Parts: sequence; structure tokens; C-alpha cells
Amino acid sequence: MKEEYICRCEEITREEIEKAIADGATTLSGIKKRTRAGMGLCQGRTCRRLITQMLSKVKDPAEITPPTSRPPVRAIKIGEIVEGEDD
Amino acid sequence: MKKTAEIVVIGGGVIGTSIAYFLSKRGKKVVLVEREDLASGSSGACDIDIILQSKNPGIHLKLAMASAELYKSLSQELDFDIEYENTGGMILIEDEEQLKVMKEFVKKQKAIGLQVDLLDFKEASKLQKGLAPHLVGATYSPQDAHVNPMSLCIGFAQAAAKLGAEISLDTAIVDIKTAKGRVKSVVTNRGEIETETVVNAAGVFAPEICAMVGMSVPIKPRRGQIIVTEPVPKLVMGDVLCAKYIVAKYNPKLLEGSDDPETRLGVGLSLSQTRNGNILIGGCREFVGYNWSTTYEALTTILKHATRLVPALKEIHAIRSFAGLRPYTPDGLPLLGPVEGIEGFIMAAGHEGDGIALSPITGKIISDIILEGKTFIDIAPLSPGRFGNTEKIKAVS
Ligand SMILES: Cc1cc2nc3c(=O)[nH]c(=O)nc-3n(C[C@H](O)[C@H](O)[C@H](O)COP(=O)(O)OP(=O)(O)OC[C@H]3O[C@@H](n4cnc5c(N)ncnc54)[C@H](O)[C@@H]3O)c2cc1C
Ligand code: FES
Repeated sequence: MKEEYICRCEEITREEIEKAIADGATTLSGIKKRTRAGMGLCQGRTCRRLITQMLSKVKDPAEITPPTSRPPVRAIKIGEIVEGEDD
Repeated sequence: MKKTAEIVVIGGGVIGTSIAYFLSKRGKKVVLVEREDLASGSSGACDIDIILQSKNPGIHLKLAMASAELYKSLSQELDFDIEYENTGGMILIEDEEQLKVMKEFVKKQKAIGLQVDLLDFKEASKLQKGLAPHLVGATYSPQDAHVNPMSLCIGFAQAAAKLGAEISLDTAIVDIKTAKGRVKSVVTNRGEIETETVVNAAGVFAPEICAMVGMSVPIKPRRGQIIVTEPVPKLVMGDVLCAKYIVAKYNPKLLEGSDDPETRLGVGLSLSQTRNGNILIGGCREFVGYNWSTTYEALTTILKHATRLVPALKEIHAIRSFAGLRPYTPDGLPLLGPVEGIEGFIMAAGHEGDGIALSPITGKIISDIILEGKTFIDIAPLSPGRFGNTEKIKAVS
């Protein structure tokens, strides 16, 4: 059977996410910790919705907290951050 | 019907899961209670270093060395990939003053048996590319290592479960009942569990659990912030710290009241690269209560400090940052062992910035204490009563 990738950045399959849920993950961050799904370059923009759908089978969707989104909101060159400050 | 357990372990971080595993391995029936998920506290918001070089020479370093030994066969033992790798590590030295401090530090560490050496700039540059030319050198130890802390928690918990432990997630301890100076049960939001032995491995939340038995402990949250980069090919040799890290860690007084943001935030370099290639750039040490947010000031200050020492980082993209809380204690040592005056109540918290490194040995020590009443090292310096906090218990019991 062809693998179905839920998180394309980190190449995490549907099966791996199902396993994480079976292991007790009930939050997006729990999935992240067990599989790395959502930790890729797009920081979950592509996979978050799909994972939320899968989680909603075990948890009330209203209770699924979004993962903490922390600065920087987009990838930014470290050189730009440190030099920008001195201006 | 009331549930019963031989031992209840509170907290699903690296400390609680390690304890649950070591106890289960030795045939004890454990229930681990975690109010959120595994690795949802400090153990899910930290670096990946099993670093020996940063430990104060003395019992601190001895514990870390014993723990490092246990790490070597842990993936195999748990039958779980915890991403352990014996990478080696170094501490960068910026000036003559730091060199003096580090020389003394290294001498004492060597006396305890750590393999560690002082390198000049040329030797250091061979191990770590892209160092700033003003550095005077570094210390190096081949014994430093890496692990994935989240996999560690999950690996310990799954191995414990296979051995019969019950891992109760999404379950909060709300009270502990005692009678005649002895633990009788724990009350959770999902019912009561009768038990005579409770291990408090709640990390920065350990004081809340202590309060349930009328005890106070001086564990305080000490925030650290870390920047994560895009995955890049291997750039960081292993664990790379700077000598300022040592100052920030052991001499918080020196940092108070300074105008310089780097000093005030307790910034000290810690660099490591995960197996996926993301570089973790840290960090700082701040007392801001239970505040898990990141700040722009720390982000820029940490990155400035890091690029001053390793300018090669400037070319890489930062993708994310996070903050975690270290369970700080006034003497930098964890509180391990039974609490006098309240039989069956055992502490295993306060590992500051070393909980990952010390997790296997903590599991072993606590299981030794519970099963045999003693362990391989004199843990009197780690005694939970050493800050004089058990008087209140005696008064109530
Ligand atoms: C930025 C940063 C970098 C670090 N880097 C390193 C490093 O490189 N190497 C290293 O060795 N150490 C490092 N540390 C330190 C390390 O993260 C900690 O020492 C360690 O994670 C502490 O683990 P713990 O199990 O005691 O606590 P935690 O991981 O916080 O676990 C405690 C658990 O108890 C649960 N809990 C609390 N109250 C209750 C309750 N009432 N009922 C049920 N459950 C409850 C919490 O939900 C939590 O999951 C770092 C820390 C930080 C913040
Ligand atoms: S698709 Fe999952 S992080 Fe990008």
C-alpha cells in the first residue's frame, strides 16, 4: 500500500500519527513530540488541519488547543536579526 | 471502587518516567500520574545535552558521570530509539579571566575522573568550525553526549508500561492524604488511589505537591529561551557552551542589577544540533515566575552572543523559538530521597538545567532508596530537608 503522508515537511505518515494517538497523544503538541509532525519548515501550516481532523476522533475539537506559535513567525536569517538591532 | 498502587509517581517528565521505569524493572507496581501529557513540562522545552563538563566538581559531577554510564546502553535496554549519541563537547573561552576560572574548574573535574582538556584556539577550531578569531581557546571532553528528551520520556514510559506500570495521562493530583505521619492515598481529578508511597517528580510544580503535605521547598522556575534554526548539514560538533554559561549557572548574584542585557538575562551560549539538523541556540537564565513565553529581547540578545562566538551562524535561518522553566534550587542540586516526618513521601525534583543528564541516575537512586533504603552514593547533600523545610510537617503530624 502507498504511504499517505500527513506531514510532508517531516515525511510523517497517517499510520505514524494513528500510532501516536493510540499511545495517548490528545493534543497537537503530543503528536509533535511523538512523531515530529508539525515541526518542519512550514511549521505545521500544511499538516495541522489534517492532524486536527484525526485528533477530533478522540477529543472534542473545541478542546484541541492550537500549538504555541513562537517568534519568528517566518524563517529569518540570523544575520538579519542581530544586525537589524544595531540600526 | 478505590484504586490501589504500590507506588504513585507524580509527573511525566524525564525524572518521573525514569523513576517509573527503574521501579517497574525491579518488579514494583507503579502508577505514573501526569496531568497533561508526557514531556509537557520542562522536559519538552529544553536542550538535548548530556553534558558533564558543566557540572560542579563534587557530587554533582559524580552523579552526572554515573548517569552518563547508564545512558550508553539505554536505547537498547528500553528498546526505543532515544537518539543518544556520544558526541563530545566543548566550552568556549573568550578572555584571560575566563581562562583562569576554567583552568581551575578543569583541574577539579579531572581529579574526580572526568576526561577533559584545555585546548588553544587552533586545536579548538579543528573541532568546531566557524569560531570567532578572538577566542582564546576551549575545554573539551569526549564524554559529553546528546539525547532527544521527548523520546527519552516516551521511551521510559513505554518500557515501564510493558513491565506493567500504568501511565495515567490527563490526570491531575489534587491532594495527598496522610494519617499518623504516613502517606495513605493520593486524590486525583479522576478518583482516589490508595498507596503508601508517593514520589514527587513534578519538576517546577513540585512545591504545589509538597504543599499538599504541609511542606515547603525552595524550588523556583528559572526560565530559559532557545532559538531553533532550519535543518542544515552538520555544523555543531556536539555540545558547545561558553564559559559565561558556567558563570550564569552558578553565580546568579553576579548577574543581578546589571544594565547590560546579556548579563541581566543570564545569557550563556549553548549550541547543539539535533539529528534532523536543526540547531538549538540558547540560552538564558531568568527568574520570571511560571512564565513560559518567549521575549524579543532575549531572542536578539542570545543570537548576538551566539554569533559573537560562532559568526558562522549568521548565514542560517531561525524558524522558531521556545521557552522552558528549569526547576532551580539554591545550591543547584536536586532534592532526592525520603522526607523526614512524612513516611512514604519521596522527593525527586529540582534538577535545574541538568534534569536530562541526571534522569537515568535519578531513576536508579530513587528505586534503590525505595527497594533497599540506600544507594551507591551518600545522598545526604541532596536531602529534601537540607533547607530546613520539614519543621512545619513535624508541627502538623
Ligand atoms: C531552556 C532549557 C534548557 C535545558 N537544557 C538542558 C540540557 O541540555 N540538559 C539537561 O540535562 N537539562 C536541561 N534542562 C533542564 C531539564 O529540562 C529539566 O531539569 C528537566 O526537564 C526536569 O524534568 P522533570 O521531570 O523534573 O520536570 P518536568 O519535565 O517539568 O515534569 C514534571 C511533570 O509534572 C507534571 N505535573 C505537575 N503537577 C502535577 C500534578 N498536580 N498532577 C500530575 N502531574 C503534574 C507536569 O505536567 C510535568 O509534565 C533545560 C531546561 C531548560 C528550561
Ligand atoms: S507539513 Fe508538517 S510541518 Fe510542514
